[in-house]
Amino acid sequence: MLDLQDLQVHFPTKGGLVRAVDSISLTLYSGEIVGVVGESGSGKSTVGKAAVRLIKPTAGRVLIDGVDITNATRRQLKPIRTKAQVIFQDPHSSLNPRMTIRDIVGEPLRIHSKQRGAELSTTVGRLLERVGLPFQFQHRYPHELSGGQKQRVAIARALSVDPDMLILDEPTSALDVSVQAQILEFLKELHAERPRMTSLFISHNLAVVRFLCQRVVVMYLGGVVEEGPVEQVFANPQHPYTQALLSAVPLPQAERNNGRIHLQGDLPSPVDFPTGCAFHPRCSYAIGGKCNVDDPGWTATARSRARCHLLDHASA
Amino acid sequence: MESLLAIRDLALEFHTFDGVYQAIDHVSLAVAPGEALGLVGETGCGKSVLTRAAFGLVPSPPARISSGSVLFEGREILGLSPKEQRAMRGRDIAMIFQDPMTFINPVFKIGTQLVDAICAQKGRGFGKRRARELALTMLEKVQLPNPLRQFESYPHQLSGGMRQRVLIAMALAAEPKLLIADEPTTALDVTIQAQILDLIAQLVEDMGISLIMISHDLGVVSQVCSRVAVMYAGQIVEDAPVAEIFDDPLHPYTRGLLASVPHPLRPANKLEGISGSLPNLYAPPPGCRFAERCPHVTESCLKGRIGQKYIGKQHKVACIAVEDTMQHA
Repeated sequence: MLDLQDLQVHFPTKGGLVRAVDSISLTLYSGEIVGVVGESGSGKSTVGKAAVRLIKPTAGRVLIDGVDITNATRRQLKPIRTKAQVIFQDPHSSLNPRMTIRDIVGEPLRIHSKQRGAELSTTVGRLLERVGLPFQFQHRYPHELSGGQKQRVAIARALSVDPDMLILDEPTSALDVSVQAQILEFLKELHAERPRMTSLFISHNLAVVRFLCQRVVVMYLGGVVEEGPVEQVFANPQHPYTQALLSAVPLPQAERNNGRIHLQGDLPSPVDFPTGCAFHPRCSYAIGGKCNVDDPGWTATARSRARCHLLDHASA
Repeated sequence: MESLLAIRDLALEFHTFDGVYQAIDHVSLAVAPGEALGLVGETGCGKSVLTRAAFGLVPSPPARISSGSVLFEGREILGLSPKEQRAMRGRDIAMIFQDPMTFINPVFKIGTQLVDAICAQKGRGFGKRRARELALTMLEKVQLPNPLRQFESYPHQLSGGMRQRVLIAMALAAEPKLLIADEPTTALDVTIQAQILDLIAQLVEDMGISLIMISHDLGVVSQVCSRVAVMYAGQIVEDAPVAEIFDDPLHPYTRGLLASVPHPLRPANKLEGISGSLPNLYAPPPGCRFAERCPHVTESCLKGRIGQKYIGKQHKVACIAVEDTMQHA
C-alpha cells in the first residue's frame, strides 16, 4: 500500500543541516496497522508527512499503491488525497474555527466528489453518525465541541473520501484517557469493518501502539533502530534503545517497575550528528572503537530486524 | 500521626458571567509528614485548582472559597494575609509545574535566577556568596551535568529535562516541608520522564519532604507515591494506598479510568473507556456527580450528597453501591 524507499528528509537551517529523517525504508501492506514510536525529535512525524507528500523528501522514493509520488505535482497529487488521509494530534488546530462541522467534513466531498446541497448534508450526517456523533452536530462550530468530539470530526473528515490509508499522527495524545479509550476502540472497529484499510499510527505512547498495531517501527534520531511484530518487539526487544524505552514506561500497576534501564542525557542534536551508531552516546553497552565509528547494519530474524553492533556478535 | 497538611471540607466556586462554577465541592484531604500522595484525575476535575486554592494561588475574584479550612502544621492558613502566605510559599511549600519554561525567565542566566530565588527564600542576611554555593550544591543534587557551566547558561540552551531539574533545584533549595509537583513530567519524553520521576522520588525521600504529585497518569503516580486520591468533577471519589487502587479499585470512576489505559506489556482485548462527559458544574447534579456515566447507577444515587465511607483502615470511597464494612462516624 505504502512503500518508502531510502526516504531522506533534510532541512537546511541557519544552524546547519537538520537530518530529520535519514534513509528510512518502510513498507505497509494493505490492511495493516503499523505503529511508529519514538521520542520528540526522532523524526516520526516527518515520516508521516513525507508519506503523503506534505513534505517533499530530499532523497528516496515514496510510492502509494505502486504510484511514485516523490516528485508529483499538486495536480498529480489530487487523486492521491482520496487514497490517503491524515489525522493530526490537536483537533483544535486542524479544524477551522470559522467553519461549521458541515463545511469542515463536507469540504473534501465538495472538492473530490462534487457533492452539493442536500446530498452533501446527508453524506456528512452519515459520516458523523459513523464516528458516533449526532446528525445535528453539522450546524455547530468546533468551539462548541469537546476535544474528543473534535477528534471524531477530524476522523469523519478523513473518512469522507473513503480512503484506503490513514496517517494518524498522535491522534489521542491531547485527549484524556477515558476519551482516548473510546477513539482507540473506534479505530480498531473501523479496521475490523474495512479489512483493506491501512494505517500508519505515529505515537510516543507505547501502550497505545501495543493495543492498536500489528507491527511497530522504533525510531531514534531520524533512523529506524528496530522493527517487527508488536508482540515480538514488546516481549523481546533487541535494540538497547527499544529496551530502555520500554522499561521507562510507567506501568499502571501497584508495584514499581523493577530493573529500569536509565538512559543518560538527552537526544543529541540532529544537526551535530554522532558518528557511527546514532544511539551510542547514551547506550550503556556501547563498544568503544566500534559503535562510535561504524554505522551498524541490520540483523534480521524471520519477521523482525534491528540495527545494533551487539547483534552482529550474537548472530555470528 | 499529626498531618502536615489537612484540607477540610474545602469548597471553591468561580463567579463568572455564566454563573457560579462549583469547581471544588467540599473536599477533605490530608498529607502526613514524609508521605507521597498522588492526586489523579482527568482534565477539569479540579486537581490543580484544589492545591492552588489551599495556598492562596487562585485569584479572588473570580474564585471564592465558600467553606472549609486548610491547616498546615496545625495552623489555619486560609485566613492569612497575602504577605504571610507569600512568606510560607517557597519556604515551607514549594511547587514545580508542567512547563518549566513558563517559570524561568528566558533573559536571565540559570545561575542568576537560582541565586535570586534562594535569596528570596532565605530572607535578608543570607549573602549572595552563600546563595551561590547552595545553588551549585542543589544543581549537583539534581544531577545536572556540569553545574558550573549550566550556571552561566540561559534557559533556552537547556533541554526540557534539564530545565525541570533546575526548577526542582530551585524548589528544594529552601528545604520545604511540602513539595507540590503539578504534572512535572507531562511535557517530557518517557526516557526523560523516568529520570525525573526517579530523581523526585529519591530527593523527597532523602530530604524527608512530603509530596503531592498531581497527574492524569496513574502509571506516573504509581512510580512515586504511596497513596492515591482520585478526583472527579471537583470531588475526591476514592482515596487509598497505591496497591489497593490498582488491585482493588472500588469506585466505578476509578475502575473506568483503569480500564481505559492500555497496558504497555500486555495485549489488551478491549478498552472499556467511560462513555459520556463531565457534568455541568454550573448546575451540578444533586446526587453523585458520576451518576450520569456510571454503569451501576441506581435511583438513590441521584438523591442527595454521597458521603465518603471507609472500606478498611486507609481506603475511603464515595459511592453508595460499595458495601459498608467500617462505616466511619
